[in-house]
Amino acid sequence: MGAALVGVLAAPAWALAGPHHDGPDKMAQMVAAATGSPANSLVEIAKHKFSLPTVTVPVGGTVTWRNHDEDVHTVVSTTQVFRSPGLDTDEAYSYKFTKPGVYQYFCTLHPLMTGTVIVK
Amino acid sequence: MRDDLNHSHDMDRPDGHGGDGVDRRGFLECMAWAGTGLVWVAAGGILSSRALSQAAAADAAPAAGFSFVQISDTHIGFKGEANKDALGTFEQALARIKALEPAPAFIIHTGDLTHAQKAGAFDTVTEALKGTRAERVFYVPGENDVFADGGKEYLGRFGGPAGNGWQSFDYKGVHFIGLVNVLNFKAGGLGSLGPAQLDWLKKDVEGLSSSTPIVVFAHVPLWAVYPKWGWVTDDGKQALSSLKRFGSVTVLNGHIHQILQKVEGNIRFHTALSTAFPQPAPGVGEGPGPLKVPAEELRKVLGLREVTYVPGKGSLAVVDSTLA
Repeated sequence: MGAALVGVLAAPAWALAGPHHDGPDKMAQMVAAATGSPANSLVEIAKHKFSLPTVTVPVGGTVTWRNHDEDVHTVVSTTQVFRSPGLDTDEAYSYKFTKPGVYQYFCTLHPLMTGTVIVK
Repeated sequence: MRDDLNHSHDMDRPDGHGGDGVDRRGFLECMAWAGTGLVWVAAGGILSSRALSQAAAADAAPAAGFSFVQISDTHIGFKGEANKDALGTFEQALARIKALEPAPAFIIHTGDLTHAQKAGAFDTVTEALKGTRAERVFYVPGENDVFADGGKEYLGRFGGPAGNGWQSFDYKGVHFIGLVNVLNFKAGGLGSLGPAQLDWLKKDVEGLSSSTPIVVFAHVPLWAVYPKWGWVTDDGKQALSSLKRFGSVTVLNGHIHQILQKVEGNIRFHTALSTAFPQPAPGVGEGPGPLKVPAEELRKVLGLREVTYVPGKGSLAVVDSTLA
């Protein structure tokens, strides 16, 4: 998990769609254009809150969370679909959603911090 | 809130013994805040505050008693603006411990040894604490020590024979209980002990005489300091109900990086300073988290705690000191 994170850390959210992801991402963008929801979303973490309590992305869309607090936070699905490592200040984590559904998540250090990703 | 410290019925009460006729309402009015540079001493059921220099002179433990040190929230690995040198302030706290006369019998660390559970951080803490003259160090975990791997590394190192991290021991007539309330956080939930630990606690104290002084230590406060910020243990009350019959219960917590005190019946609650960074007072500002203070103020809001037991006195003397 640590190795995977290194590639993501400090990368701008919009830079995440690398060349090897072109196919699905293009499709996601087309879906986004059709459904009106952006293919990728950025959720800021600040003052122990997620800037967007609910984000909606198309199938194949990526959500990036970036931590601005000096506290460590995590982004962990309540059903263990995704699980970030500890995000220190200015670190980010991205997850690409390949299946439609409603994904609840929370910070495992501060469990009152909760959020939802809707993939459709 | 500092004005509360000047309540005459607290400050001017003679060094009372026995605690009969103690005005509990008065305690509750005066609970909560203790300012930097003052210490609170609980003796014979009476809380009083004195200046630090007086406390240092008066609190040398007689032969039959002992003292121990509580440190908390060392957050090794923290590099934020709130303290660029968290390792340095931790080492400063250790220097204070080394200078204590008499040396503390042992040290209790109430969690958040590390900031982000990075490789080597636990070693840094344990190695540094070996340099003190304390015979042993007892640990309970904070959420920052267990979030990355569900407690695997922490419990492997400090979990004890049963591997669950909770523990009890007796020292010179005092019964000590270390509780774990940071594992298995649920979305939207709070600190919790869980049924297995509560059962264990109940059995652990079953055979003890009610006159046995009890010291409980855990990371997240066992009482509701500020639930909106998660500063509470949701089943803390159940734990405390197992301890109600005891004449002297001292509860030592960390997590909130500031000194708060409360007395409820025979139970005295104390949260401790961090050695790494302060946090805002409950409900002040947008949320909890490292609080940046002017550089010259930082050491006034970091510190450690010495607790002294004197047989026959009933309560333990709790003395907080800062790194300033």
